[in-house]
Formats: sequence, C-alpha cells, structure tokens
Amino acid sequence: MLKEISRKNAVHVMLVYSGGCNGCDIEVVNCVLSPYYDIEQYKVMLTWNPREADILLVTGPVLKRIEPALKAIYEAIPDPKLVAAVGSCAINGNVFYNIGGDFGPSDEVAGPLAKVLPVAANVPGCPPRPEDIIATAAVAIPILAEMEV
Amino acid sequence: MEKDRGEADVEIPVGIVHPALLEPYRPRFFLQDEVVTDCEITLDAQHRGIERMMEGIPVDKCNIITERICGICSCVHLWNSVRVVEKGLNIEVPVRAQYMRVIINELERLTSHLIFFGHALEIIGHETLGMRAFIAREPFMILLGELSGNRVHYACPIIGGIRPRCNPTEEMRKKALTMLKPAAEYLADYADRILKDAMVMSRIDGIGVLTKEEAIKYHAVGPTARASGVNWDWRTEIDDFKHFDWDVIVLDGGDVKDRVVARVLECLEILKIVEQGFKNLPEGEIRNRDWKLGKMPVTTCYHEAPRGELYDSYGLDEKGNVRHYKCRTPTVTNLGSMEVACLGEHLTDAVLTLASCDPCLCCTNR
Repeated sequence: MLKEISRKNAVHVMLVYSGGCNGCDIEVVNCVLSPYYDIEQYKVMLTWNPREADILLVTGPVLKRIEPALKAIYEAIPDPKLVAAVGSCAINGNVFYNIGGDFGPSDEVAGPLAKVLPVAANVPGCPPRPEDIIATAAVAIPILAEMEV
Repeated sequence: MEKDRGEADVEIPVGIVHPALLEPYRPRFFLQDEVVTDCEITLDAQHRGIERMMEGIPVDKCNIITERICGICSCVHLWNSVRVVEKGLNIEVPVRAQYMRVIINELERLTSHLIFFGHALEIIGHETLGMRAFIAREPFMILLGELSGNRVHYACPIIGGIRPRCNPTEEMRKKALTMLKPAAEYLADYADRILKDAMVMSRIDGIGVLTKEEAIKYHAVGPTARASGVNWDWRTEIDDFKHFDWDVIVLDGGDVKDRVVARVLECLEILKIVEQGFKNLPEGEIRNRDWKLGKMPVTTCYHEAPRGELYDSYGLDEKGNVRHYKCRTPTVTNLGSMEVACLGEHLTDAVLTLASCDPCLCCTNR
C-alpha cells in the first residue's frame, strides 16, 4: 500500500537513443520536459542516471554498437523496472529492419527491442504523438506500482 | 597507433551514452590541468547503413528512407533526394508545389533552430530560457502537424510536386496565417530576450572561436560557417527560394555567441519567408505527372539543411531503381571544425563549443 503510493509519486524515466532518427527522442523530451505537454505535473521525471530510473524508454531499432551499452544500463536499473519501446523502430525495426535492396536490410540492427530486453509497453507511431506517450505512461505507472519486488 | 598527445596529462572520454551528449557519440578530451589540448571525436554509434540499403530499391521507396535519416531535418533530406531525380530527368515542378516545399522546409528549419536553443541554453544552465524555446516551438509543430498530417516526418515532396495531403485549403491557409502571428510575436520577444540576457551572453561571449580561415580549411558549413564570416548559403542557388525576399545572415565573430546569434537572426528571416509564402501562395496544380522514370546517370544535388550543406547523389537504372547512392550531411565537417575550435578552452566550455555547432549525429552516422 505504502509502497504503491510512494512509487506512484516519483516515477523516473530514463531515455536511451539506440540509433533511430531522433524524431521519437525529440518528441519524448518535448513531451516530458516542455511546458506544453509536461508529464512532470503527473510526477514523471526525466533522468539520465540509470540507478535512479524506474522506466527505461528506448527509441530506435537497437543497433549492434549500442546493444552492450543498453544492456548495461538495463542491468544498472534497480527493481522494479519496466521497459517501454517508443516508436515503430523499437517495436518492429521500421524501414531499417524491413526494407532492403540488393544487399537486404541493414546489417547493423540487433533489434527490434523485444529481442534484446523484455518489453512491457509499446508506443506506436513514426514518431508517436506526445498524447500517445502520455497515455502509455498512464497505463505503465500502475503496472510499475503493483509489481512484486 | 596512438597519436602523441604532447603535454596532455588527463584523458576524459565521454560516451557513448552520456547525459551531456543526448545522442550517442564519443568525444575524447585530452586535458592539461583543466584546459583542453586535444579533442578527438569518434562517430559510429548510430550507423544504420542507409547507403547500403538504398542500392537497388525503387526510387520512391528510397525517398521515404532518406526522410528517416534524420528526425529533426527530415523534410530537407527528402526534398534534396527528390531534387536529384528532378534535375536528372528534367522534371518541372508547379509553382504552388514549390511554395509549399519552401514553407514546410522553412518551418522545419525554425523548429530545428528552436531545439538548438533549448539544448544549448540547458547546457549553459539557464533552464528557464531553454523551456521557453520549447514553448515557442510548440505552435510551429502544431502548424506543421496540421499542414502535413505528421509532426516530424512530413513526407511533403514527391517527384514532380508535393503529396496531396500537404496541399492546404484556402481555410487552412488563413488559419495558418492567424496561427503564425502570435507565435511569431512570441518568437521575436524570445529572440530579443536571448540577445539581451547578460547572464547568457557572459557565458558564451568569446568562447570557442573559429576563425574564417579555420572555417574554410575545415569546411564548416551552414550557420556555423556564416557565424565565422563565410558568406555562403545554398538556398540562394535554389530556384524555389527565388520567389521570396530574404537575407543571408553573416556574422564575423566566430565564437559560440555568434553561432547562437546567427541562428536567432535566421529564425526571424524564416518567419519572413513563411509569412510571404502563405500570403502569396498561388493557385494551381500541385503535381506534374508528365514524366517517366528511366535510366539516369549519377546526378548530384546540394541543399541547405538547418545545419548546413547537404549533398545527395545517385543514379537510376532502366527499371528506376537507385544505384550508387551517396549522401553527406553537414555535421561531419562542422564537428571536425569544432574539434579545432574547442582547443584551449576549459572542459565545461569545450562541451558547450561542441554543442554550439548543433551536432546531429543521426544524420552524420546514417
């Protein structure tokens, strides 16, 4: 009970760019930080420190070069933790994973994210609208609060 | 083999994922006490192999992938890729389509510059002004969303014209003009506020100087070069911009302050272009369908992205598939010149200097 309330009141989100086009990243930062959408009013804070974070937001198709760093960041986050895939790239690899010419699609992609980390929430869109990101946060935070750890 | 670093006694590696950088890349600073004596930047973290993916795919698919090179300057990548085909096969573009391309592209340049202010002011530590950049940016994002249907990837230009959904109705045109007015006023006030803020100016004045000779030697491009006194803007070479009356902003200080001021003044020029565009938007066709894909020799086009010169080059085979795709984005050379500009600065100022060329690593690594 007490745990639930305290967890709900200070949710820290960490954002990792895993090699997409930056569109989602800007929308997330815009959504969390900017005074216009401002998730901070719902007590969701953006952090760059994995030890402080509760939710890991990953954008981009997870490139091989970033995969080790991403796993290290995930390990560093204390339990309970959730991973959310933001944008088409993180969910299904988008154009980088699915379209290819004579040489096939991109060789650099290790993702989609579900292959690398256990994903709890998906935010679709290329890029997702800020309203969708806020709606996903509203769904993910109760799950986080009720996790058994 | 490791290079001789002279008198440097400390190395500070940053990255690849680090709070100070936002995007993954890896600068290494070599310090003597706290002064930077050498800087080396490794760019490979976001390499997606886009140029390799392009070989042999149909040209319309290729155009959509070029848009995914960057989520901040997506329109200009698509536009330049489309211009390659239009130049190679001599395809005429209707005037209304030219106007809409310019309007969407310039609004995107505006939002890109406003992200830069938000980011740079946050590094300086002036978070309030950084937040205001996002307030000033939001009306333009909403306008872009309503004009094109997507807030980031507008997908506006197609070969021979623009996509029909980007064709505004008369109602939309009037609405855009009314939306533009308060947003432009806020932006003008905000620009004035940055330029007159003594605290911000004291932090960026005289830091990270890039002289004109260095800018030419390391081929700095875009606002970074124009702040160092290089008078060059690819927009002056492009026919679509000949319908508009605007000025190229050139400053000659070459420090971080001038790079910020150049972008601030450029924002005001952009507002002029967009307003003229909506006021004089001509009636008529938006798409020229009178063309046929075929063999095209390798053709090259340059364009002015928000950060500087953008280069796209490819040819087509008989079936209209892309061959020999090559793309170069502005940040490669800009970051190279920043490696030089940050020498002799303190470590905190060095990070600011790197950020002052508005690096976009997703374009650069592709």
